[in-house]
Amino acid sequence: MPGPTRGIATRRRSAALLFVLLLSGLLSVVVAGVGQALAGEATGFRIIAHPESSAGSLSRQFVADAFLKKAVRWPNGDTIRAVDLRLDAPARQQFSEDVLRRSVSAVRSYWQQRIFSGRGVPPPELDSDAAVIRHVQSRRGALGYVSERAETGGVQIVTLH
Amino acid sequence: MKRLSALCAASHCAWVGPSFAQEVEAADPAGTPIEIHGFVSQGFIKSTNNEYLAESKRGSFEFSEVGFNVTQALGHDLRVGFQVFAHDLGPFGNYKPEFDWYYLDYRFFDWLGIRIGRTKMPFGLYNELNDIDVARVPILLPQSIYQVDHREYIFAQTGGELYGDVPLGDVGSLEYRAHGGTLFADTPTPPAPGITVENVSVPYIFGGRLTWSAPLDGLHVGASYQAVRLDGDYGFSPELLAVFQPLGLLPADLAGPLSVKWRVKRWVASLQYSAHDLDLSAEYSRWIGGFESRAPLLLPTHVVNERYYVMASYRVAPWFTPGVYYSAFYPNVEDRHGREAYQHDVAATLRYDLTANWLFKLEGHFMRGTAALDNEALNDGVEQKLLAPTWGVFLIKTTAYF
Repeated sequence: MPGPTRGIATRRRSAALLFVLLLSGLLSVVVAGVGQALAGEATGFRIIAHPESSAGSLSRQFVADAFLKKAVRWPNGDTIRAVDLRLDAPARQQFSEDVLRRSVSAVRSYWQQRIFSGRGVPPPELDSDAAVIRHVQSRRGALGYVSERAETGGVQIVTLH
Repeated sequence: MKRLSALCAASHCAWVGPSFAQEVEAADPAGTPIEIHGFVSQGFIKSTNNEYLAESKRGSFEFSEVGFNVTQALGHDLRVGFQVFAHDLGPFGNYKPEFDWYYLDYRFFDWLGIRIGRTKMPFGLYNELNDIDVARVPILLPQSIYQVDHREYIFAQTGGELYGDVPLGDVGSLEYRAHGGTLFADTPTPPAPGITVENVSVPYIFGGRLTWSAPLDGLHVGASYQAVRLDGDYGFSPELLAVFQPLGLLPADLAGPLSVKWRVKRWVASLQYSAHDLDLSAEYSRWIGGFESRAPLLLPTHVVNERYYVMASYRVAPWFTPGVYYSAFYPNVEDRHGREAYQHDVAATLRYDLTANWLFKLEGHFMRGTAALDNEALNDGVEQKLLAPTWGVFLIKTTAYF
Protein backbone atom coordinates (compact mmCIF):
# COMPACT_ATOMS: atom_id res chain seq x y z
CA MET A 1 0.00 0.00 0.00
CA PRO A 2 1.45 3.43 -0.90
CA GLY A 3 2.64 5.59 2.02
CA PRO A 4 -0.03 8.34 1.96
CA THR A 5 -2.85 5.81 1.54
CA ARG A 6 -1.52 3.75 4.43
CA GLY A 7 -1.31 6.90 6.56
CA ILE A 8 -4.96 7.70 5.86
CA ALA A 9 -5.97 4.12 6.69
CA THR A 10 -4.03 4.29 9.97
CA ARG A 11 -5.71 7.56 10.93
CA ARG A 12 -9.14 6.11 10.10
CA ARG A 13 -8.47 3.04 12.27
CA SER A 14 -7.29 5.27 15.12
CA ALA A 15 -10.35 7.49 14.78
CA ALA A 16 -12.65 4.44 14.75
CA LEU A 17 -11.05 3.03 17.93
CA LEU A 18 -11.28 6.42 19.61
CA PHE A 19 -14.94 6.70 18.60
CA VAL A 20 -15.71 3.26 20.08
CA LEU A 21 -14.00 4.29 23.34
CA LEU A 22 -15.93 7.56 23.60
CA LEU A 23 -19.27 6.00 22.66
CA SER A 24 -18.81 3.21 25.21
CA GLY A 25 -18.07 5.79 27.88
CA LEU A 26 -21.08 7.94 27.08
CA LEU A 27 -23.49 5.00 26.98
CA SER A 28 -22.10 3.69 30.27
CA VAL A 29 -22.54 7.04 32.00
CA VAL A 30 -26.19 7.22 30.89
CA VAL A 31 -26.97 3.66 31.99
CA ALA A 32 -25.14 4.12 35.31
CA GLY A 33 -27.01 7.36 36.00
CA VAL A 34 -30.38 5.67 35.47
CA GLY A 35 -29.30 2.78 37.71
CA GLN A 36 -28.25 5.11 40.52
CA ALA A 37 -31.52 7.01 40.31
CA LEU A 38 -33.49 3.77 40.69
CA ALA A 39 -31.38 2.45 43.58
CA GLY A 40 -33.04 2.21 47.01
CA GLU A 41 -31.80 3.93 50.16
CA ALA A 42 -29.60 2.07 52.61
CA THR A 43 -30.70 1.45 56.20
CA GLY A 44 -28.94 2.45 59.43
CA PHE A 45 -26.50 0.43 61.51
CA ARG A 46 -25.29 -0.04 65.06
CA ILE A 47 -21.68 -0.70 66.01
CA ILE A 48 -21.16 -3.51 68.52
CA ALA A 49 -18.24 -4.86 70.52
CA HIS A 50 -17.48 -7.84 72.74
CA PRO A 51 -19.50 -7.63 75.98
CA GLU A 52 -16.35 -7.31 78.12
CA SER A 53 -15.09 -4.45 76.01
CA SER A 54 -14.73 -1.08 77.67
CA ALA A 55 -15.33 0.61 74.32
CA GLY A 56 -18.65 2.30 74.99
CA SER A 57 -17.67 5.27 72.86
CA LEU A 58 -15.08 5.35 70.08
CA SER A 59 -13.95 7.94 67.56
CA ARG A 60 -15.10 7.42 63.98
CA GLN A 61 -11.48 7.47 62.89
CA PHE A 62 -10.53 4.66 65.28
CA VAL A 63 -13.36 2.46 64.02
CA ALA A 64 -12.42 3.23 60.40
CA ASP A 65 -8.77 2.40 61.11
CA ALA A 66 -9.81 -0.86 62.80
CA PHE A 67 -11.87 -1.99 59.80
CA LEU A 68 -9.09 -1.00 57.38
CA LYS A 69 -6.57 -2.73 59.70
CA LYS A 70 -4.51 0.41 60.16
CA ALA A 71 -5.19 0.00 63.88
CA VAL A 72 -4.79 -3.56 65.10
CA ARG A 73 -4.97 -3.16 68.89
CA TRP A 74 -7.40 -1.77 71.44
CA PRO A 75 -5.98 0.77 73.87
CA ASN A 76 -5.61 -2.04 76.45
CA GLY A 77 -3.40 -4.02 74.06
CA ASP A 78 -5.95 -6.63 72.98
CA THR A 79 -6.04 -7.49 69.30
CA ILE A 80 -8.92 -5.89 67.40
CA ARG A 81 -10.97 -8.52 65.57
CA ALA A 82 -13.19 -6.62 63.16
CA VAL A 83 -15.93 -8.43 61.29
CA ASP A 84 -17.91 -7.20 58.28
CA LEU A 85 -21.35 -7.91 56.93
CA ARG A 86 -21.61 -9.29 53.40
CA LEU A 87 -20.99 -6.89 50.52
CA ASP A 88 -24.63 -6.32 49.57
CA ALA A 89 -25.98 -5.80 53.10
CA PRO A 90 -27.68 -2.37 53.33
CA ALA A 91 -26.14 -1.79 56.77
CA ARG A 92 -22.69 -2.35 55.28
CA GLN A 93 -23.33 0.26 52.60
CA GLN A 94 -24.35 2.80 55.23
CA PHE A 95 -21.49 1.89 57.57
CA SER A 96 -19.04 2.20 54.69
CA GLU A 97 -20.26 5.66 53.69
CA ASP A 98 -20.65 7.04 57.22
CA VAL A 99 -17.65 5.54 59.01
CA LEU A 100 -15.11 4.59 56.34
CA ARG A 101 -16.16 7.55 54.15
CA ARG A 102 -15.86 5.37 51.07
CA SER A 103 -18.33 3.33 49.05
CA VAL A 104 -18.38 -0.45 49.48
CA SER A 105 -16.83 -0.71 46.00
CA ALA A 106 -14.00 1.63 47.03
CA VAL A 107 -13.35 -0.40 50.18
CA ARG A 108 -13.33 -3.57 48.12
CA SER A 109 -10.78 -1.94 45.81
CA TYR A 110 -8.68 -1.01 48.88
CA TRP A 111 -8.59 -4.64 49.97
CA GLN A 112 -7.83 -5.90 46.47
CA GLN A 113 -4.80 -3.62 46.47
CA ARG A 114 -3.62 -5.04 49.77
CA ILE A 115 -4.44 -8.69 49.01
CA PHE A 116 -2.54 -8.80 45.74
CA SER A 117 0.42 -6.72 46.91
CA GLY A 118 0.89 -8.88 50.01
CA ARG A 119 -0.07 -6.29 52.59
CA GLY A 120 -3.02 -7.86 54.31
CA VAL A 121 -6.40 -9.48 54.04
CA PRO A 122 -9.82 -8.02 54.89
CA PRO A 123 -11.89 -8.76 57.98
CA PRO A 124 -14.09 -11.84 57.66
CA GLU A 125 -17.50 -11.25 56.08
CA LEU A 126 -20.54 -12.85 57.67
CA ASP A 127 -23.95 -13.29 56.08
CA SER A 128 -26.34 -11.95 58.69
CA ASP A 129 -26.75 -9.72 61.72
CA ALA A 130 -27.21 -12.82 63.86
CA ALA A 131 -23.90 -14.28 62.65
CA VAL A 132 -22.07 -11.02 63.38
CA ILE A 133 -23.58 -10.84 66.88
CA ARG A 134 -22.60 -14.45 67.62
CA HIS A 135 -19.09 -13.72 66.34
CA VAL A 136 -18.72 -10.58 68.44
CA GLN A 137 -20.18 -12.22 71.56
CA SER A 138 -17.73 -15.09 71.42
CA ARG A 139 -14.45 -13.29 70.74
CA ARG A 140 -12.51 -11.03 73.01
CA GLY A 141 -11.55 -7.88 71.11
CA ALA A 142 -14.27 -8.34 68.48
CA LEU A 143 -15.79 -5.28 66.78
CA GLY A 144 -18.65 -5.37 64.29
CA TYR A 145 -21.81 -3.64 63.16
CA VAL A 146 -25.34 -4.77 62.42
CA SER A 147 -28.50 -3.21 61.04
CA GLU A 148 -30.28 -0.92 63.46
CA ARG A 149 -33.23 -3.31 63.64
CA ALA A 150 -31.11 -6.20 64.91
CA GLU A 151 -31.58 -7.57 68.44
CA THR A 152 -28.30 -6.70 70.12
CA GLY A 153 -28.61 -8.38 73.51
CA GLY A 154 -25.36 -9.84 74.81
CA VAL A 155 -23.01 -7.41 73.07
CA GLN A 156 -21.80 -3.92 73.87
CA ILE A 157 -23.31 -1.08 71.83
CA VAL A 158 -20.66 1.41 70.74
CA THR A 159 -21.42 5.06 70.09
CA LEU A 160 -19.28 7.25 67.86
CA HIS A 161 -17.90 10.58 68.95
CA MET B 1 -12.26 -14.70 47.96
CA LYS B 2 -11.95 -18.20 49.23
CA ARG B 3 -11.96 -18.89 52.91
CA LEU B 4 -10.86 -22.38 53.66
CA SER B 5 -11.58 -22.62 57.36
CA ALA B 6 -14.08 -25.38 56.79
CA LEU B 7 -11.60 -27.29 54.66
CA CYS B 8 -8.88 -26.81 57.28
CA ALA B 9 -11.22 -27.97 60.00
CA ALA B 10 -12.08 -31.02 57.91
CA SER B 11 -8.42 -31.84 57.29
CA HIS B 12 -7.65 -31.51 61.01
CA CYS B 13 -10.59 -33.76 61.63
CA ALA B 14 -9.25 -36.44 59.31
CA TRP B 15 -5.78 -36.12 60.77
CA VAL B 16 -6.28 -36.02 64.52
CA GLY B 17 -9.87 -37.04 64.95
CA PRO B 18 -13.11 -35.20 65.60
CA SER B 19 -12.38 -34.02 69.13
CA PHE B 20 -9.51 -31.73 68.12
CA ALA B 21 -11.54 -30.29 65.24
CA GLN B 22 -14.33 -29.51 67.66
CA GLU B 23 -11.88 -27.76 69.99
CA VAL B 24 -10.70 -25.60 67.11
CA GLU B 25 -14.29 -24.83 66.21
CA ALA B 26 -15.25 -23.99 69.76
CA ALA B 27 -12.28 -21.71 70.25
CA ASP B 28 -12.74 -19.79 67.03
CA PRO B 29 -15.66 -20.73 64.79
CA ALA B 30 -14.62 -18.31 62.05
CA GLY B 31 -11.09 -19.64 62.41
CA THR B 32 -7.97 -17.98 61.13
CA PRO B 33 -8.59 -19.19 57.60
CA ILE B 34 -6.06 -19.68 54.89
CA GLU B 35 -6.81 -17.00 52.34
CA ILE B 36 -6.31 -17.99 48.72
CA HIS B 37 -6.72 -15.42 45.96
CA GLY B 38 -5.81 -15.35 42.32
CA PHE B 39 -6.27 -13.66 38.99
CA VAL B 40 -5.99 -14.32 35.29
CA SER B 41 -5.67 -11.43 32.83
CA GLN B 42 -5.58 -11.35 29.06
CA GLY B 43 -5.04 -8.18 27.12
CA PHE B 44 -4.74 -6.99 23.56
CA ILE B 45 -2.54 -4.07 22.56
CA LYS B 46 -2.69 -2.18 19.28
CA SER B 47 -0.61 0.83 18.38
CA THR B 48 -0.19 3.11 15.45
CA ASN B 49 3.16 4.23 13.97
CA ASN B 50 5.49 2.77 16.66
CA GLU B 51 5.80 -0.60 18.41
CA TYR B 52 5.01 -0.24 22.11
CA LEU B 53 5.63 -2.92 24.76
CA ALA B 54 5.00 -5.66 22.17
CA GLU B 55 4.83 -5.99 18.41
CA SER B 56 1.76 -3.89 18.69
CA LYS B 57 1.42 -2.19 15.32
CA ARG B 58 -0.22 -5.31 13.94
CA GLY B 59 -2.00 -5.94 17.26
CA SER B 60 -0.69 -8.31 19.90
CA PHE B 61 -2.16 -10.67 22.48
CA GLU B 62 1.25 -10.95 24.17
CA PHE B 63 -0.21 -9.22 27.18
CA SER B 64 -1.11 -11.81 29.81
CA GLU B 65 -0.82 -12.14 33.58
CA VAL B 66 -1.65 -14.91 35.99
CA GLY B 67 -1.07 -15.08 39.72
CA PHE B 68 -2.27 -16.68 42.90
CA ASN B 69 -1.47 -16.06 46.51
CA VAL B 70 -1.85 -17.82 49.83
CA THR B 71 -1.88 -16.05 53.19
CA GLN B 72 -2.18 -17.59 56.62
CA ALA B 73 -2.37 -15.89 59.99
CA LEU B 74 -0.37 -17.79 62.60
CA GLY B 75 -1.80 -16.40 65.78
CA HIS B 76 -2.90 -12.79 66.23
CA ASP B 77 0.22 -10.95 65.10
CA LEU B 78 2.16 -13.25 62.78
CA ARG B 79 1.26 -13.76 59.14
CA VAL B 80 2.94 -15.60 56.28
CA GLY B 81 2.13 -15.52 52.60
CA PHE B 82 3.35 -15.82 49.04
CA GLN B 83 2.24 -14.98 45.51
CA VAL B 84 3.32 -16.81 42.38
CA PHE B 85 3.14 -14.71 39.25
CA ALA B 86 3.79 -15.26 35.55
CA HIS B 87 3.29 -12.84 32.71
CA ASP B 88 3.99 -12.14 29.09
CA LEU B 89 4.34 -8.66 27.68
CA GLY B 90 5.97 -8.62 24.27
CA PRO B 91 9.64 -9.49 24.85
CA PHE B 92 9.23 -9.49 28.65
CA GLY B 93 8.15 -12.22 31.02
CA ASN B 94 7.52 -15.07 28.60
CA TYR B 95 5.30 -16.84 31.16
CA LYS B 96 8.25 -17.60 33.46
CA PRO B 97 6.69 -18.18 36.90
CA GLU B 98 8.29 -16.43 39.84
CA PHE B 99 7.59 -15.49 43.42
CA ASP B 100 6.11 -12.03 43.13
CA TRP B 101 6.26 -11.71 46.90
CA TYR B 102 6.61 -13.89 49.96
CA TYR B 103 6.95 -12.78 53.52
CA LEU B 104 6.84 -13.38 57.20
CA ASP B 105 5.03 -10.45 58.82
CA TYR B 106 4.95 -9.68 62.53
CA ARG B 107 3.05 -6.66 63.87
CA PHE B 108 4.31 -5.62 67.32
CA PHE B 109 2.15 -2.52 67.64
CA ASP B 110 0.02 -0.33 65.39
CA TRP B 111 3.13 1.79 64.88
CA LEU B 112 5.63 -1.03 64.33
CA GLY B 113 5.57 -4.11 62.16
CA ILE B 114 8.27 -6.04 60.31
CA ARG B 115 8.14 -7.96 57.06
CA ILE B 116 10.97 -10.22 55.96
CA GLY B 117 11.19 -11.90 52.58
CA ARG B 118 10.51 -10.65 49.08
CA THR B 119 8.26 -7.64 49.36
CA LYS B 120 6.78 -5.10 46.97
CA MET B 121 8.68 -1.82 47.30
CA PRO B 122 6.72 1.23 48.40
CA PHE B 123 7.41 4.03 45.93
CA GLY B 124 4.77 6.59 45.20
CA LEU B 125 1.10 5.73 45.30
CA TYR B 126 0.97 2.77 42.94
CA ASN B 127 4.30 0.96 42.62
CA GLU B 128 2.98 -2.09 44.43
CA LEU B 129 -0.03 -2.32 42.11
CA ASN B 130 1.75 -2.16 38.81
CA ASP B 131 1.12 -5.76 37.80
CA ILE B 132 -2.23 -6.12 39.55
CA ASP B 133 -4.89 -5.15 37.03
CA VAL B 134 -7.78 -5.65 39.43
CA ALA B 135 -6.38 -3.12 41.92
CA ARG B 136 -6.44 -0.05 39.70
CA VAL B 137 -8.49 1.71 37.04
CA PRO B 138 -6.03 2.17 34.14
CA ILE B 139 -4.70 -0.79 32.18
CA LEU B 140 -1.32 0.93 32.09
CA LEU B 141 -0.48 3.12 35.07
CA PRO B 142 1.25 6.38 34.10
CA GLN B 143 4.36 4.99 32.49
CA SER B 144 6.45 8.01 33.32
CA ILE B 145 6.82 6.69 36.88
CA TYR B 146 5.46 3.13 36.82
CA GLN B 147 7.28 1.60 33.86
CA VAL B 148 5.83 -1.84 33.36
CA ASP B 149 8.86 -2.95 31.33
CA HIS B 150 11.15 -2.22 34.33
CA ARG B 151 9.29 -4.46 36.74
CA GLU B 152 12.35 -6.54 37.67
CA TYR B 153 14.14 -3.47 38.99
CA ILE B 154 11.46 -1.33 40.53
CA PHE B 155 8.69 -3.60 41.84
CA ALA B 156 10.08 -5.89 44.56
CA GLN B 157 13.15 -6.45 46.69
CA THR B 158 14.44 -9.33 48.78
CA GLY B 159 15.24 -8.21 52.30
CA GLY B 160 13.24 -6.60 55.07
CA GLU B 161 10.81 -3.81 55.77
CA LEU B 162 9.63 -1.90 58.83
CA TYR B 163 6.19 -0.33 58.71
CA GLY B 164 3.57 1.23 60.92
CA ASP B 165 0.71 3.65 61.35
CA VAL B 166 1.02 6.54 63.80
CA PRO B 167 -2.14 8.45 64.78
CA LEU B 168 -1.58 12.19 65.18
CA GLY B 169 -4.87 13.13 66.79
CA ASP B 170 -6.49 16.18 65.28
CA VAL B 171 -3.87 16.53 62.55
CA GLY B 172 -4.46 13.13 60.96
CA SER B 173 -2.09 10.17 60.88
CA LEU B 174 1.22 9.03 59.44
CA GLU B 175 2.02 5.80 57.66
CA TYR B 176 5.68 4.94 57.24
CA ARG B 177 7.53 2.15 55.46
CA ALA B 178 11.28 1.66 55.33
CA HIS B 179 12.91 -1.14 53.36
CA GLY B 180 16.34 -2.49 52.52
CA GLY B 181 17.77 -5.50 50.72
CA THR B 182 18.81 -6.52 47.25
CA LEU B 183 17.40 -7.41 43.84
CA PHE B 184 17.73 -10.68 41.97
CA ALA B 185 17.13 -9.75 38.37
CA ASP B 186 18.02 -11.01 34.95
CA THR B 187 20.81 -9.30 33.06
CA PRO B 188 19.52 -5.96 31.76
CA THR B 189 19.09 -5.27 28.09
CA PRO B 190 22.43 -4.02 26.68
CA PRO B 191 22.37 -0.30 25.95
CA ALA B 192 23.43 -0.72 22.31
CA PRO B 193 24.33 -3.39 19.73
CA GLY B 194 27.88 -4.72 20.23
CA ILE B 195 27.76 -4.25 23.99
CA THR B 196 27.19 -7.07 26.47
CA VAL B 197 26.42 -6.79 30.17
CA GLU B 198 27.48 -9.61 32.49
CA ASN B 199 28.03 -10.43 36.17
CA VAL B 200 25.28 -8.09 37.27
CA SER B 201 24.76 -7.81 41.00
CA VAL B 202 22.92 -5.41 43.29
CA PRO B 203 24.93 -4.72 46.46
CA TYR B 204 22.06 -2.76 47.99
CA ILE B 205 18.68 -1.19 47.54
CA PHE B 206 16.99 0.79 50.26
CA GLY B 207 14.31 3.40 50.61
CA GLY B 208 11.08 4.35 52.24
CA ARG B 209 7.78 6.14 52.03
CA LEU B 210 6.07 8.51 54.43
CA THR B 211 2.39 9.25 53.93
CA TRP B 212 0.41 11.81 55.88
CA SER B 213 -3.34 11.32 55.94
CA ALA B 214 -4.72 14.80 56.56
CA PRO B 215 -7.73 15.58 58.77
CA LEU B 216 -9.68 16.15 55.56
CA ASP B 217 -10.99 12.65 54.81
CA GLY B 218 -9.30 11.08 51.82
CA LEU B 219 -6.47 13.59 51.45
CA HIS B 220 -3.02 11.98 51.49
CA VAL B 221 0.37 13.61 51.01
CA GLY B 222 3.41 11.41 50.56
CA ALA B 223 7.10 11.33 49.81
CA SER B 224 9.18 8.34 48.74
CA TYR B 225 12.90 7.83 48.30
CA GLN B 226 14.94 4.94 46.98
CA ALA B 227 18.63 4.28 46.28
CA VAL B 228 20.11 1.33 44.43
CA ARG B 229 23.52 0.31 43.08
CA LEU B 230 23.95 -2.13 40.23
CA ASP B 231 27.41 -3.51 39.45
CA GLY B 232 28.29 -5.20 36.18
CA ASP B 233 30.89 -5.88 33.53
CA TYR B 234 30.39 -4.25 30.14
CA GLY B 235 31.90 -6.08 27.19
CA PHE B 236 32.57 -4.35 23.86
CA SER B 237 32.88 -5.99 20.46
CA PRO B 238 36.24 -5.60 18.65
CA GLU B 239 34.49 -3.31 16.16
CA LEU B 240 33.30 -0.98 18.90
CA LEU B 241 36.69 -1.05 20.63
CA ALA B 242 38.31 -0.05 17.34
CA VAL B 243 36.00 2.96 17.10
CA PHE B 244 35.76 4.03 20.77
CA GLN B 245 39.39 3.72 21.88
CA PRO B 246 40.88 6.12 19.30
CA LEU B 247 38.16 8.64 20.23
CA GLY B 248 39.07 8.37 23.91
CA LEU B 249 35.64 7.02 24.82
CA LEU B 250 37.18 3.87 26.25
CA PRO B 251 40.58 3.52 28.00
CA ALA B 252 43.35 2.74 25.53
CA ASP B 253 44.56 -0.19 27.66
CA LEU B 254 41.14 -1.82 27.98
CA ALA B 255 41.44 -5.41 26.83
CA GLY B 256 38.70 -7.19 28.79
CA PRO B 257 35.36 -6.16 30.25
CA LEU B 258 34.84 -2.70 31.71
CA SER B 259 33.82 -2.77 35.36
CA VAL B 260 30.87 -0.43 35.95
CA LYS B 261 28.96 0.70 39.02
CA TRP B 262 25.58 2.29 38.32
CA ARG B 263 24.00 4.28 41.12
CA VAL B 264 20.41 5.50 40.97
CA LYS B 265 18.59 7.63 43.51
CA ARG B 266 14.99 8.46 42.94
CA TRP B 267 12.26 10.29 44.79
CA VAL B 268 8.63 11.06 44.25
CA ALA B 269 6.24 13.51 45.87
CA SER B 270 2.63 12.31 45.94
CA LEU B 271 -0.74 13.95 46.42
CA GLN B 272 -3.98 11.98 46.49
CA TYR B 273 -7.59 12.73 47.28
CA SER B 274 -9.58 9.54 47.54
CA ALA B 275 -13.02 9.77 49.10
CA HIS B 276 -16.29 7.99 48.43
CA ASP B 277 -16.04 7.16 44.70
CA LEU B 278 -13.68 9.88 43.55
CA ASP B 279 -9.94 9.36 43.19
CA LEU B 280 -7.59 12.20 42.22
CA SER B 281 -3.83 11.82 42.26
CA ALA B 282 -0.74 13.67 41.12
CA GLU B 283 2.92 12.79 41.48
CA TYR B 284 6.20 14.44 40.59
CA SER B 285 9.44 12.48 40.50
CA ARG B 286 13.11 12.81 39.67
CA TRP B 287 15.51 9.93 39.14
CA ILE B 288 19.21 10.73 39.40
CA GLY B 289 21.57 8.20 37.87
CA GLY B 290 25.27 8.00 37.23
CA PHE B 291 27.88 5.50 36.09
CA GLU B 292 31.18 5.07 37.89
CA SER B 293 33.68 3.63 35.41
CA ARG B 294 36.89 4.29 33.51
CA ALA B 295 34.85 5.55 30.57
CA PRO B 296 33.10 8.71 31.82
CA LEU B 297 32.74 10.14 28.31
CA LEU B 298 30.82 7.07 27.17
CA LEU B 299 28.87 6.29 30.33
CA PRO B 300 27.53 9.53 31.86
CA THR B 301 28.40 10.23 35.47
CA HIS B 302 25.30 12.28 36.19
CA VAL B 303 21.90 12.26 34.48
CA VAL B 304 18.68 13.57 35.96
CA ASN B 305 15.32 12.72 34.50
CA GLU B 306 11.90 14.11 35.29
CA ARG B 307 8.58 12.32 35.51
CA TYR B 308 5.11 13.45 36.53
CA TYR B 309 1.42 12.83 36.00
CA VAL B 310 -2.08 13.84 37.07
CA MET B 311 -4.85 11.24 37.16
CA ALA B 312 -8.56 11.16 37.96
CA SER B 313 -11.18 8.45 38.15
CA TYR B 314 -14.76 8.36 39.37
CA ARG B 315 -16.83 5.29 40.14
CA VAL B 316 -20.09 6.28 38.45
CA ALA B 317 -21.68 2.98 39.46
CA PRO B 318 -20.31 -0.12 41.19
CA TRP B 319 -19.87 -1.65 37.74
CA PHE B 320 -18.46 1.35 35.86
CA THR B 321 -15.42 3.55 36.50
CA PRO B 322 -13.99 5.88 33.88
CA GLY B 323 -10.56 7.43 34.37
CA VAL B 324 -8.15 9.80 32.63
CA TYR B 325 -4.55 10.85 33.10
CA TYR B 326 -1.78 12.93 31.61
CA SER B 327 1.77 11.72 32.08
CA ALA B 328 5.11 13.23 31.05
CA PHE B 329 8.67 11.91 30.99
CA TYR B 330 11.93 13.70 30.19
CA PRO B 331 14.96 11.37 30.29
CA ASN B 332 17.40 14.28 30.65
CA VAL B 333 16.22 17.50 32.27
CA GLU B 334 19.04 19.39 30.61
CA ASP B 335 18.02 18.37 27.11
CA ARG B 336 14.33 18.65 26.28
CA HIS B 337 14.65 19.16 22.55
CA GLY B 338 13.81 16.60 19.92
CA ARG B 339 11.17 13.86 19.90
CA GLU B 340 13.53 11.47 21.72
CA ALA B 341 13.83 13.88 24.66
CA TYR B 342 10.24 13.61 25.91
CA GLN B 343 7.14 11.48 26.08
CA HIS B 344 3.70 12.94 26.68
CA ASP B 345 0.84 10.53 27.22
CA VAL B 346 -2.85 11.43 27.43
CA ALA B 347 -4.90 8.37 28.37
CA ALA B 348 -8.56 7.53 28.94
CA THR B 349 -9.86 4.28 30.48
CA LEU B 350 -13.26 2.68 30.90
CA ARG B 351 -13.37 -0.02 33.60
CA TYR B 352 -16.40 -2.32 33.72
CA ASP B 353 -16.82 -4.61 36.71
CA LEU B 354 -19.03 -7.15 34.99
CA THR B 355 -19.46 -9.33 38.07
CA ALA B 356 -17.93 -9.45 41.54
CA ASN B 357 -15.06 -11.48 40.06
CA TRP B 358 -14.68 -10.34 36.48
CA LEU B 359 -13.75 -7.01 34.93
CA PHE B 360 -13.20 -5.62 31.47
CA LYS B 361 -11.30 -2.49 30.45
CA LEU B 362 -10.92 -0.34 27.37
CA GLU B 363 -8.13 2.24 27.12
CA GLY B 364 -6.78 4.71 24.59
CA HIS B 365 -3.53 6.72 24.63
CA PHE B 366 -2.50 9.67 22.54
CA MET B 367 1.31 9.87 22.66
CA ARG B 368 3.82 12.50 21.65
CA GLY B 369 7.55 11.83 21.78
CA THR B 370 9.62 8.67 21.61
CA ALA B 371 11.68 8.90 24.81
CA ALA B 372 10.71 5.61 26.42
CA LEU B 373 10.29 3.54 23.28
CA ASP B 374 12.30 0.32 23.13
CA ASN B 375 14.44 0.34 20.00
CA GLU B 376 16.40 -2.79 20.80
CA ALA B 377 13.85 -5.59 21.19
CA LEU B 378 11.23 -3.62 19.25
CA ASN B 379 11.09 -1.03 16.47
CA ASP B 380 13.78 -2.79 14.39
CA GLY B 381 16.65 -0.94 16.06
CA VAL B 382 15.54 2.39 14.57
CA GLU B 383 16.92 5.31 16.59
CA GLN B 384 14.40 7.08 18.81
CA LYS B 385 14.96 10.34 16.98
CA LEU B 386 13.78 8.68 13.76
CA LEU B 387 10.65 7.00 15.15
CA ALA B 388 7.24 8.61 14.58
CA PRO B 389 6.82 11.53 16.99
CA THR B 390 3.03 11.19 17.30
CA TRP B 391 1.39 7.84 17.84
CA GLY B 392 -1.49 6.08 19.52
CA VAL B 393 -2.07 3.00 21.67
CA PHE B 394 -5.33 1.13 22.25
CA LEU B 395 -5.71 -1.60 24.81
CA ILE B 396 -8.37 -4.08 25.83
CA LYS B 397 -7.98 -6.21 28.91
CA THR B 398 -10.13 -8.59 30.88
CA THR B 399 -9.34 -10.01 34.30
CA ALA B 400 -11.04 -12.69 36.36
CA TYR B 401 -10.10 -12.87 40.02
CA PHE B 402 -11.10 -14.35 43.34
